[in-house]
Amino acid sequence: MIDALRRLWRTPQGVLGSVLLAVLILACLLGGVLAPYSPEAMDFAGRFAAPSARHWLGADQLGRDVLSRLLVGARSTVPLAVAATFSGALVGACVGTLSAYLGGRWDEAITRTIDAVMAIPHLLLALILVSTLGKGSANAALAIAVSVAPSMARVTRSVALAVRQQDYVKAAIARGEGGAWIVLREMLPNVAAPLIIEATIRVAFAIMLFATLSFLGLGAQPPASEWGLMVSEGRRFMHQAPWVIVAPALAIATTAICFNLLGDGLRDALNPRDER
Amino acid sequence: MSPVLQVRDYALDYVTRDGTQRVLQDISLAIEAGEVLGLVGESGSGKTSLAWAIMRHLPGNAREAPGGRIHLGGTDLVAASSKALETIRGRRMSMVFQDPSTALNPTLTIGRQVSEVLVRHRGLSEKEAWRAATEALEHVDLRDAAGLMKRYPHQASGGEKQRVVIATAFACRPELIVFDEPTTALDVITGARILELFGRLRAETGVAALYISHDLALVSRVADRVAILERGRIVEEAPADRIFTAPTQDYTRRLVAAVPRPDHRLVGDQVTGETLLRAEAIAVRYGRKRLFRAAPAAATEDVTLDIRRGEILGVVGESGSGKSSIARALTGLADYDGVITLGGRRIDRTGGMDRAYRRAVQIVFQHPDSSLNPRQTVADILARPLRLYGGDVSTVPALLEQVRLPAGHARRYPHQLSGGEKQRVAIARAFAARPALVICDEITAPLDVSVQASVVELLLGLRDTHGTAYLFITHDLNLVRQIAHRIVVMRAGAIVDLLDIDAVRQGNVSPYTRQLMAASPAPVG
Amino acid sequence: MSLAWLLRRLLTVLYTLLVVSLLVFGLTQLLPADAAVTLLGENATPEALAAVRLRLGLGDPAWLQYWHWLSGLLQGDFGTSMRTSQPVAPAMFTALGRSLMLGGASLVLMLLIAVPLGMWAALRRGKAADLVAGLVSYLGVSLPEFVTATLLLIVVADRFQLLPATGYVAPGEDLADSLRHLVLPVLTVSLILVAHVSRMVRSETIDVLNSDYVRAARLKGLSPRVVLLRHVLRNALLPTITIVALDVGYLLGGIIVVEEIFAIPGIGRALIVAITSRDLPSIQAGAMIMAATYAIANTLADIAYVLVDRRIRYD
Repeated sequence: MIDALRRLWRTPQGVLGSVLLAVLILACLLGGVLAPYSPEAMDFAGRFAAPSARHWLGADQLGRDVLSRLLVGARSTVPLAVAATFSGALVGACVGTLSAYLGGRWDEAITRTIDAVMAIPHLLLALILVSTLGKGSANAALAIAVSVAPSMARVTRSVALAVRQQDYVKAAIARGEGGAWIVLREMLPNVAAPLIIEATIRVAFAIMLFATLSFLGLGAQPPASEWGLMVSEGRRFMHQAPWVIVAPALAIATTAICFNLLGDGLRDALNPRDER
Repeated sequence: MSPVLQVRDYALDYVTRDGTQRVLQDISLAIEAGEVLGLVGESGSGKTSLAWAIMRHLPGNAREAPGGRIHLGGTDLVAASSKALETIRGRRMSMVFQDPSTALNPTLTIGRQVSEVLVRHRGLSEKEAWRAATEALEHVDLRDAAGLMKRYPHQASGGEKQRVVIATAFACRPELIVFDEPTTALDVITGARILELFGRLRAETGVAALYISHDLALVSRVADRVAILERGRIVEEAPADRIFTAPTQDYTRRLVAAVPRPDHRLVGDQVTGETLLRAEAIAVRYGRKRLFRAAPAAATEDVTLDIRRGEILGVVGESGSGKSSIARALTGLADYDGVITLGGRRIDRTGGMDRAYRRAVQIVFQHPDSSLNPRQTVADILARPLRLYGGDVSTVPALLEQVRLPAGHARRYPHQLSGGEKQRVAIARAFAARPALVICDEITAPLDVSVQASVVELLLGLRDTHGTAYLFITHDLNLVRQIAHRIVVMRAGAIVDLLDIDAVRQGNVSPYTRQLMAASPAPVG
Repeated sequence: MSLAWLLRRLLTVLYTLLVVSLLVFGLTQLLPADAAVTLLGENATPEALAAVRLRLGLGDPAWLQYWHWLSGLLQGDFGTSMRTSQPVAPAMFTALGRSLMLGGASLVLMLLIAVPLGMWAALRRGKAADLVAGLVSYLGVSLPEFVTATLLLIVVADRFQLLPATGYVAPGEDLADSLRHLVLPVLTVSLILVAHVSRMVRSETIDVLNSDYVRAARLKGLSPRVVLLRHVLRNALLPTITIVALDVGYLLGGIIVVEEIFAIPGIGRALIVAITSRDLPSIQAGAMIMAATYAIANTLADIAYVLVDRRIRYD
């Protein structure tokens, strides 16, 4: 593990991604403490204040400090998206591995069904789910987990199939090893690395999807300072106070970039190369 | 007369993340018109880099040391501009590549790829070039050349494609042709035909040729003179007939000694004991009948063979002969019809192979890179069969010693080992179970010839110690003739010959086997 | 390309649509809203509600309702909207037409930019131009559509007043104005696609440039122009077909958001309206249409691929 981290920090993507991740974790954990103002503190006199020494990123239509809302909003935006991705990825990985292991007709049936589910655009699936289950962050997170699962299943399956073809798996079969041993001890460690990379990149996608749902009013609900929600609320006032939109928009983009960078960096870090 | 190709004091470096690596040093050679110079080297010797250097197609991180010279006739290639090189390449010098299936563009017709050279360098019109190209294909003995011109590469066989590549290389009557292992990717018999073609064309055209290969035996038959390349330096250069009979340098001597020679037996004993394993009427079929699709042809049909205790049974065949499928059936990796009998027990399906069987029959695979789990240390890899078959885990160091690897390697991961070392670990893994039979599925094919020799020596030593039998699968008939007691020859899924080694030596073989023997000749001297 | 292959492909599409229909129907049936109440309002009389429930078959078991709906679909009857009490099909298909225009224009623009950009980045690999293109692509895939749309609106429509902010004008009415209204939406949808596809094209082109046959072509002395046009281009473009087909999925998702922000009355907008107003038949119809579009696009891409690449034998 330490080895992998060291290799990660040897790449520029790994370093930059890790730095951004550290900033994000800091914001999530200590956002409330670090914020100069309470995210709900309204100040009608200071409405639409432009960025200044008093409000580093300006104030919104209700006079709330944008920076504070941004910092506290990290907690509403990032952790749920990450959790949703990883739980969806876990389910997807199990289905994908199972499908690859079973092979034959079962594999075909499962694959075709996954392909069919993926014919519905992710956003649409999430929208239908949220409208069925009700608005709110938790349901949005669930919808995202459901969206992530099929594509992760597909990726897992193709990785698992490739691993299955390797001679060391055949050696294990020739030794008479049981199915459980082969899957858990021979295949899984080799399947895990590409999956972690894929899942990390999906987090970027999940954050974007979560913010989109909140933007459409179906994810986080006011007065939460989730970033997508902030963009949506600020839309009406884009003429007077564009900074109300630009700040959370850039925050979303930066977060997505952070996870994309990490994924790229992990790609190098987790693949042992010829070191002779 | 001045030589066609002259290389003088040439040195080459590659700049990598880990520093500058000198790949070629003090390279000097010359090739006269009509002469073939063979360049022999193992992997990492730099032979391919020399080919690129001559063709002036080096990778971006290559740095040529000042003072090195490469001349083609009167032209200084090193100083030539890229525009000048465009007119030289294809016309005055050309290249024949190793793998014909990747050297041809899959989305262009064969005819297009041959005629474009003629249009470019001989100034012919498209129509004239097409006609000339068709003639060129006929000249390399391709049947239905006109039809082949209109087809795509994937519709031609490996041998046909290589003839196309050769025809293209000869098309503009170049002064020099560089051959980069042109028969390595082909079957033995097909490769032999290509070499015959090469001999004929060379006599007709008087072209100068640089023939690069790792196969010393083959090169000594093809070339007039042979240069041996070791780690970027030419250690010896001599006429082809002398390189085998009277090598002067140590490295050359070692290479020569490592080349398999059928008359040089490495195994002295006779084996007449009891039968260890018997396989009857084995048929292996891959794939099943799917919706709207017919079932694929069988990989092997009705194969019957037996292995005696302590015997080395060689299995020879070209690709597609079914020899690997036999290995898979015997180890339970592929379903089969037929019966396998081991120690009195009859097994008619892979499900019937119990732990005792699995322990007695072990396998070593061809590709060392994929046969070891990259996420397990050598210790993990070796400990598992020990645990499984009731061995003692603490004997891992002893296992490593048996395969002549240092005990410290136990802590390493596969990617930290060389190809030969990985193969030794795979062998140790097989022997951890104290098997009665070890199936070697083309295990020396990807290795250098000297590494191959040491692996074979290791296998024979292990056999002396443990009395293990081997099913040695390979396409190298000469190697098998050195070590096997009996030989099985396979073709298209069926056994053509099952012979004692004496019969092979005396030539009491079927026509197909005779063809194979002729295509893999013993080296000169 | 054999008939057997076409048949199998068709079966796959049908299976896809079947699964989608089950999924959509199943999910929407979970909606807690009582369709009758939605239709008639909270203050309707119990008798009226019962009558509506009977008419809509709401008391039937789930599988029967599904069967009714599916058979209606197959006959072209997409049901009646609970919001407008009008048949769903005409409105949906008109909306689809507008979305196809938006989507089609985005796809074309994306191809015109992404393919040359990707190839150019591959040819200039490692140099400054490639790195810049890479950075821009990175940014492109990290911006959700609503962010891009909003930023474009702020800068282009609000600050500089270059283009109209929202709204839709049919091409039949006023072509110039129609196009002006389309620019920002198309740009928004294309951006993420350009970022994604150009990276893929770059990677494919690099593979082709490093291939043995391109090297062989160079060593035959062919001019760089000939090598590029005759040997590189076709092989690099082939996989693009598959990539684009997969991106139709992203496209459809992006269209939903973009139509909402720019107030374009396409199928995405219709779906959002249907979802917020719990208009079940419209949701179901819209989702089916979107899934069908994706499935058809993929099949067309497969056919195009087989026609162009002679190596594939789909027997």
